[in-house]
Amino acid sequence: MPDTLPAPALPIGHYGYDQVDRAFLADRVEQFRDQVARRIAGTLSEDEFKPLRLMNGLYLQLHAYMLRIAVPYGVLDSRQLRELAHIARTYDRDYGHFTTRQNLQFNWIRLEDTPDILARLADVDMHAIQTSGNCIRNVTCDQFAGAAQDELVDPRVHAEILRQWSTLHPEFTFLPRKFKIAISGSPNDRVAARFHDIGLVAKPAPDGGTQFDVFVGGGMGRTPIVGVHLRDDLPEEDLLAYLEAMVRVYNEYGRRDNIYKARIKILVQALGTEGYRQKVDAEFAAMNRARYRLPPETVAAIRARFGTPDLHAPDDAAAQLDRARRADPVFDRWVRTNTHPHRAPGYISAVISLKPAGGIPGDATSAQMDLVADLADRHAFGEIRVTHMQNLVLGHVRQDELHVVWQALRGAGLASANIGLIGDIIACPGLDYCALANARSIPIAQKLGARFASPELQETIGPIEIKISGCINACGHHHAGHIGILGVDKKGEEYFQLTLGGSPGSDASVGQILGPALPEDATVDAIARLVDAYLVHRAGGERFLDTYRRLGAALFKDAVYATA
Amino acid sequence: MPLLENGRLVPDPWTTLDQDAFLPAAGPVIVPLSRLEEGLARPPGEQLGVALPPDAEIATLRTVLPRLSLVAVTFPIFRDGRAFSQARALREHLHFAGEIRATGKPLPDQYEFLLRCGVSTVALPAGSDPQVWARAHTRFRTAYQPSVRGERAEGATLRRVL
Amino acid sequence: MSDVRNNRREAGGSSVITANRLLDGRIVWQVGEAAWSTLIDDARIIPNTQIEAAIAQATARQQEDGLVGVYGVQIESDDATPTPVTVRERIRAFGPTVHPDFTPAAELEAHA
Repeated sequence: MPDTLPAPALPIGHYGYDQVDRAFLADRVEQFRDQVARRIAGTLSEDEFKPLRLMNGLYLQLHAYMLRIAVPYGVLDSRQLRELAHIARTYDRDYGHFTTRQNLQFNWIRLEDTPDILARLADVDMHAIQTSGNCIRNVTCDQFAGAAQDELVDPRVHAEILRQWSTLHPEFTFLPRKFKIAISGSPNDRVAARFHDIGLVAKPAPDGGTQFDVFVGGGMGRTPIVGVHLRDDLPEEDLLAYLEAMVRVYNEYGRRDNIYKARIKILVQALGTEGYRQKVDAEFAAMNRARYRLPPETVAAIRARFGTPDLHAPDDAAAQLDRARRADPVFDRWVRTNTHPHRAPGYISAVISLKPAGGIPGDATSAQMDLVADLADRHAFGEIRVTHMQNLVLGHVRQDELHVVWQALRGAGLASANIGLIGDIIACPGLDYCALANARSIPIAQKLGARFASPELQETIGPIEIKISGCINACGHHHAGHIGILGVDKKGEEYFQLTLGGSPGSDASVGQILGPALPEDATVDAIARLVDAYLVHRAGGERFLDTYRRLGAALFKDAVYATA
Repeated sequence: MPLLENGRLVPDPWTTLDQDAFLPAAGPVIVPLSRLEEGLARPPGEQLGVALPPDAEIATLRTVLPRLSLVAVTFPIFRDGRAFSQARALREHLHFAGEIRATGKPLPDQYEFLLRCGVSTVALPAGSDPQVWARAHTRFRTAYQPSVRGERAEGATLRRVL
Repeated sequence: MSDVRNNRREAGGSSVITANRLLDGRIVWQVGEAAWSTLIDDARIIPNTQIEAAIAQATARQQEDGLVGVYGVQIESDDATPTPVTVRERIRAFGPTVHPDFTPAAELEAHA
């Protein structure tokens, strides 16, 4: 067998650009080059330039400019990941940070380099368009799309349709506030559909086509709200028309007087689900539907630009994996925690943890990116996915090759066996990098990671999601954490508020505040006591979340505050 | 105030009246929405335009629209994108064929969006460089959405040739 | 920058003036009129009674000096070298706490 699979004509798992798409990006890069020149010359003020650079993902953060690069629906090909590694080495400090929105951020970018970086990204069909600003942001997707056994529809073709439709949309690029869409094709919600401005769940339609469940008005931030179900029968051909209507109503009626009340969730709450639905239906009825119709030919044309993996595993692939697992208990544990069942016999999806004990959640060095790109070429059709949990996934790995993949990952510090466990912590960049943050998130994650480093201990504790945000904007999704940690500022010092009982999935719920915020040096111990209390009180195979839901907050409150 | 059409400066025959200005009996004038009745009371055949605030409901113009030659929409700040939806609704829902003028503080970087939402002229904000607007007019070749301009779709894709 | 945290100052005490460089975004501290350093140790210490005027003066020249977001930072009164009173400004002055190798001093050395 050759060392590297032959390069496919089209990338596996995401849309392949053609010359028209490339020309579009080239024009946009030149536009930004012109804007940067106008800014440096002083003909654009900082106030005028800021929204333009934000439209291209360029923030001015605490220490430098930060560039957020879109990874549409979380799928990269190996060529793209290598280019990101190259940019990290050449223009940044040799690493990148994968985010909860499946994007990649560089923290040490220079404004004057940015047009060149965007040109390099365009060379590999990538961009940073709409990774910030009050527009429709990068569409996020299930990290096991097209691979998962439980999936009904691969949502990535529709995610790409939404990417194209929302890119520089003439009407919706200056909305009241940012706008986030997630799409899944599995009944098991892995995209937090109910915590998005719009959440879509694709499913088979009675006629054999595709239709969508639509959720609206979910979100985190200052006012965490679980989205409401708008309809369950949106036909594919009306997908864009209906979203046009949904976003137009928001553009017209969403609040613009108060940044904290400007998200669509506030509008939906103000109008009521029925009131919002009526406005959307009225707009939808008045629209030129022929103009906005998404015909099956268009879906087919975009689908045709996706490469699909040719899945052929040897008959004994599963047996070989079993043998390798029996021979190596460390590998066996990793397979138990870090893989997901694949729809094709002999295949499996492997999750690469970017959460080494004591490390920075979501960070990867350029060498690690290169190594993952090589592994993807050799074992996963050149395809890499970024998860909203800030990990990476090789979607289609032959079971008989998994041991080799794991060995290579282990050599690069990428084989932490902690997916879904207490070490798999989400953390925003926090006050170490972010201009908005009130407190540092990463050091808490590092200390927790070190405290619970033992893989045995992590497996004993079982599934638990800890999520840390450095401010109320909730980039670390703390509201949806089984244990959420929110950094607050008290007179210039860092404190942390704990919330319990949040969940991002099909059983979505917002975590409840446990009690007064704790000083930084007491926070990790408090969480250790929470976990101890859970271990004492759990019944059978209960998850932490289940125990909390069964017994309530009181005993956990005692555990945290009684000794304080 | 310089007026831009199709990327070029053009003469502006219109007079924009504020809340208190004297309303002449003849000649093309743009009145605030609150003075629309007054404007409509002028002799038939006199050209009339109306300036909409960003929170105006387009549907309220439905019955009077045949009497209007111009509707001005406005950007109090460039980040306030309501005027895009107003322009689209005027073209798409009410089939308005007259001039839609963007006023206030739009940026040249928004020019393509303005045109594709149905805006036909832009009253350039003070201090604008018309050259930058002219460049913005021809910069882009492709968009991924249908628009009121009815650009040609490229095959079965979402792309439109600008 | 309109961040309210940037204007927290006590009536007494002293401050230093900071900004980000336009071209590379790096944090700088005002050493003198039109002179800026990446090291807070070099910063000119200004009594809070005079800080607003000094900020206004620096802000007026920010385009010409290639800066954005000029503001004042309160410092501890009893330290020999300037140390900001808030965690946020200490992180700006001394680099991210999670990368001890990324201090402004180390960066200056690397490019020396």
